[in-house]
Amino acid sequence: MERERQKTLIEAILFLNEDPVRLEKLADILELPREETREIVAELQHDLAAASRGIRIFEVAGGYQLGTPPELAGDLERAIGEEGGGSISNAALETLAIIAYKQPVTRAEIESIRGVKCEHVLENLLKRRLIRISGRKEGPGRPLMYSTTPDFLKYFGLKELKELPPLEE
Amino acid sequence: MSYTVRLPVFEGPFDLLFHLVKKAEVDIWEISIAEITGQYLAYLQSMKELNLDIASEFLVMAATLLRLKSKLLLPRQPRPAEDEEEIFDINSPEELFNRLEEYRRFKEAARFLREKELEQQKIFLRSTGGRKLMLMGRQQTFYTFWEGPYVLGEIMRRFAETAAAAAITPVIGGIEDFPVAEKMAFIYDLLERSGKVLPLKAFWNEKGGLWELIAVFIAVLELARQRKIALYQDRPFGQILLSINSTREKEQKHGA
Repeated sequence: MERERQKTLIEAILFLNEDPVRLEKLADILELPREETREIVAELQHDLAAASRGIRIFEVAGGYQLGTPPELAGDLERAIGEEGGGSISNAALETLAIIAYKQPVTRAEIESIRGVKCEHVLENLLKRRLIRISGRKEGPGRPLMYSTTPDFLKYFGLKELKELPPLEE
Repeated sequence: MSYTVRLPVFEGPFDLLFHLVKKAEVDIWEISIAEITGQYLAYLQSMKELNLDIASEFLVMAATLLRLKSKLLLPRQPRPAEDEEEIFDINSPEELFNRLEEYRRFKEAARFLREKELEQQKIFLRSTGGRKLMLMGRQQTFYTFWEGPYVLGEIMRRFAETAAAAAITPVIGGIEDFPVAEKMAFIYDLLERSGKVLPLKAFWNEKGGLWELIAVFIAVLELARQRKIALYQDRPFGQILLSINSTREKEQKHGA
C-alpha cells in the first residue's frame, strides 16, 4: 500500500471510531511495524495541521482520536450551542487528584487526606465514569478501592497516567 | 442597606488551614500553633455571624487545634493511648504539618488537572453518538471479561442496546439449542458415575462455543440451587470444582 493511501485509511478509521484507537491496532490493520505506523500517524497529524483542516489527531488515553482544533473552541461553542461543558467542582478535582496518584485507594484514605467526607463526590465521579471501583482492600471491612478510568484520561487530554507530573516534595 | 460579604469557600479544614498559612506568608513548618488556632477560630466565628452552615469537620479540626495548643502549654504528661476514634488523629504539631503538607501536594495536583481540563475543553473529540465499532485486525480481538464491574457493566449495556435494537436474533433461540435440563442430567450423571470431584471444564465441550458454556454454567447453578451438587473454589476466579452433594443424600436417607 502506498503512503498516501495508508494515511487516508488511518484518517478513515479514526473518523469511524469515537474511542481512541491504539497504535497496535492501526499497525495491525496496516500490516506494518508499530514504529512505521507511528511515523505515518505523525505525518498525517502534520498534514492536517498544515492544511488548516477542521479535524486534528489527538493522542488520548493510550490511543489516537480525531478532534477539533483548540483555536476553534469559541466559534464551535457558539455554533453547536454547547457551553464549555460544565467543569468539575474543586472538591471533585481534589478527590480525583488523590485517586489518580494513589490508586487503588479507599474512601477512608481519600477522606483522611482531604479532611472531609467524600461519599457524594465519589458517587458523582462514578456516575461520570471518571473513576471505577477496582477491588476491595484486604483488611477489616474489606473496603472498596477506587481507580481512574480511560474516560478520566480522555477528559483531561492525557495520553497515559505517566503523563501526570510527579507529586511535589 | 445591606452588605454582601464574600467569604472564600473552603473545601475542608485542611483547605482553610492551608489558606491561613499562606496568608501568614510563612513556611508551613514555621507556623505557630497558637497563632493559627486563633485565626482558624476567628474564621469560624465570622462564618457563624454570617449564619453559614459550618460542616462538622471544621469543628472537629477546631477541637483538634485547641487540644494541640493546650498540650503545648501544659507540661507534658505521659498519657495512655486513646481508643476513641478520631477523624484527624493528629497528636503533635509535626503530624499536623505533615498532613497539611500532604494536602498541599494534592491541591497542586488538582490545579494541574484543572489546567488540563481547560485545555481539553477547547477540543471536541470525535463522537459518533454512542455507536461503538469493533475494529478487526489480523489478530482476533478478545474482551477481558473480568476486568471489573466497570467494564462488565459497559459490556452488558452494549449487549442490551444491541438486543433492544433487534439487530441480532433473539437470545432465547440460541439457548434452546443447548437445553439446560439436558446439561443438568449429563452433569449429574457424570458426577455420580465417577464418584469424584471434577472441574467445571470437564463438562464443557470447547467446540460448543459460547452458548454451550452458558448452558453448562446455568445448568451448574441450577443443580447447586437444587442442592444436588456442591461447588468449591479455593480462591476468587479460581477453578470451579463440582461434586455430588453428599449431605443432601444423607438427609434424604434419614427422611426415608
